Amino acid sequence: MKRLRGWLLLAGLLVALPILFPDNYYVNVVGAAAALHAILTVGLNLLMGYAGQISLGHAAFFGLGAYTSAILTTRCGWDPWLALGAGLVLTGAVAYVIARPVLRLKGHYLAMATLGFGIIVHILLVQTGSLTGGPDGIGEIPPLSLFGWTIDTDVRWYWVITGTLLAVVLLALNLMDSRTGRALRALHGAAVAASAMGIDTAQAKTAVFVLAALTAGLAGSLFAHQQAFVSPDSFNFFVSIELVTMVVLGGMASTYGAILGAVILTFLPELLVVFEDYEVVIFGAILMLMMIFMPQGIAGGLRALMRWPRARTARTARLTQDAA
Amino acid sequence: MLLEASGLSKSFGGVTAIADLDFRVPEGLVYAVIGPNGAGKTTLFNLLSGVYRPDEGRLAFADRDLVGRSSHEIARLGLSRTFQNLQVFFNMSVLENVMVGAHARAKSGLFGALLRLPRMRREERAIGRWAQEALDFCGLGELAGRSAGALPYGALKRLEIARALAAEPRLLLMDEPAAGLNDTETLEMRGLIGRIRDRGITVLLVEHNMGLVMQVSDRILVIDYGSRLAEGTPDEVRADPQVVAAYLGGEVHYAVE
Repeated sequence: MKRLRGWLLLAGLLVALPILFPDNYYVNVVGAAAALHAILTVGLNLLMGYAGQISLGHAAFFGLGAYTSAILTTRCGWDPWLALGAGLVLTGAVAYVIARPVLRLKGHYLAMATLGFGIIVHILLVQTGSLTGGPDGIGEIPPLSLFGWTIDTDVRWYWVITGTLLAVVLLALNLMDSRTGRALRALHGAAVAASAMGIDTAQAKTAVFVLAALTAGLAGSLFAHQQAFVSPDSFNFFVSIELVTMVVLGGMASTYGAILGAVILTFLPELLVVFEDYEVVIFGAILMLMMIFMPQGIAGGLRALMRWPRARTARTARLTQDAA
Repeated sequence: MLLEASGLSKSFGGVTAIADLDFRVPEGLVYAVIGPNGAGKTTLFNLLSGVYRPDEGRLAFADRDLVGRSSHEIARLGLSRTFQNLQVFFNMSVLENVMVGAHARAKSGLFGALLRLPRMRREERAIGRWAQEALDFCGLGELAGRSAGALPYGALKRLEIARALAAEPRLLLMDEPAAGLNDTETLEMRGLIGRIRDRGITVLLVEHNMGLVMQVSDRILVIDYGSRLAEGTPDEVRADPQVVAAYLGGEVHYAVE
């Protein structure tokens, strides 16, 4: 059970919070929002942190999931769960189709291509008004119901979203501790060596891209039903950047780091509300300081602190390697 | 013949790297490829492992055509390699690096991994065992749990060999295994290459350290300007006047300790 220790701790924490702080706005509302972001960042971290492929258009998949649920339930009268399934199928299919051409690109070019994809999806959401409601969005999306319970209160949403987060985290942890997960991580540092070890790198990249998209689509559907309303602004370029920032802040290649990043960047604006006009400035300053002093993110910074003496050997080894 | 090249040619924008090269590697030997800098040795390795595609010629490995196959397909045929410039996965532990080497020996995929199905868990245990064996074989057994980034240079070179061995290859391509090693480490490397051959794995070696090449090789191919200058046993190659003139510039001194 050693490998599940962190997960059990997280589960314990998420269960304890609403019991310790019943009817608390920061738990039920902000906490649920943070957990929703965490579903997105845990998925994005598979792609970015572990496999080393940047995506600046992740909000597009979030939006595809949300709008599929919104459109199918409000305009076609589908059952919310069925709509959620359809959202997953659609986001997965779109990700699969664009994965091969896009993931041939590296570095800045991959960043540009995914950015372009995100912008295209956003424009489509705004422009295809007859289907998406245009800039006004879609309202009156019915809630989900589970075992006869209608998920229509904040605390119930807290349970559904955190429950989903726990499931996603468990799957992500399982994946990374496996043959497939090692193949993904191998792409990050040394892709040539990865293919020399028999890893089909194009296939591995496609798989992780689709997985990341599926988690985003899932989060999107939940978001649509939770808010009962969607509009294109929830899925624009800035949301993609925010998600990337959460992953980087928390610490790349760490599932718990991705959760931490999501929690911090969801709570920070709430707490900075007292500063009103300066909120964005303080937010930006914190990010800049983080990147200067903790480029490995919070998880990376903690790891480095825990093995301070050994870090120097590692650095020397890497320098020797670069010199050779 | 385990590996057979005939009429192999590759040029880059008019510069010929490999020109009409023929050679045959019998199974079970240590076969060295030597030549001056820029003779085309690394290009040859990249052709063999599918990084480049030859302009002309045939490449057969265990009677299978290699031309047109991608790197990962070639690896799955049983041809593994190490790299001149280390290609270690620094984001993983030592053991995990070597477990990646065993990738092609297992099958379980995405769903097995996500749900930790019983078959996947069995395979994981086997992969871990194979990786640990390969590490022990290369003298790195004790370092299994360390982060790859914490290893010194010499150990990283052996880590790459362990990773390649975990694939259980029939042919191992070693690109300058002794480069950057001190005398003691070079001696250990010599022993390791010998033990790899004793396991029945054919070794194709590119190396600049002539002492090591002469001691460890069964046959040597000398190339210059991408074509064959001489081929034979170390003694034959050493006595070849063309090799002496062209490759060593007239001065012959093989450090045989």
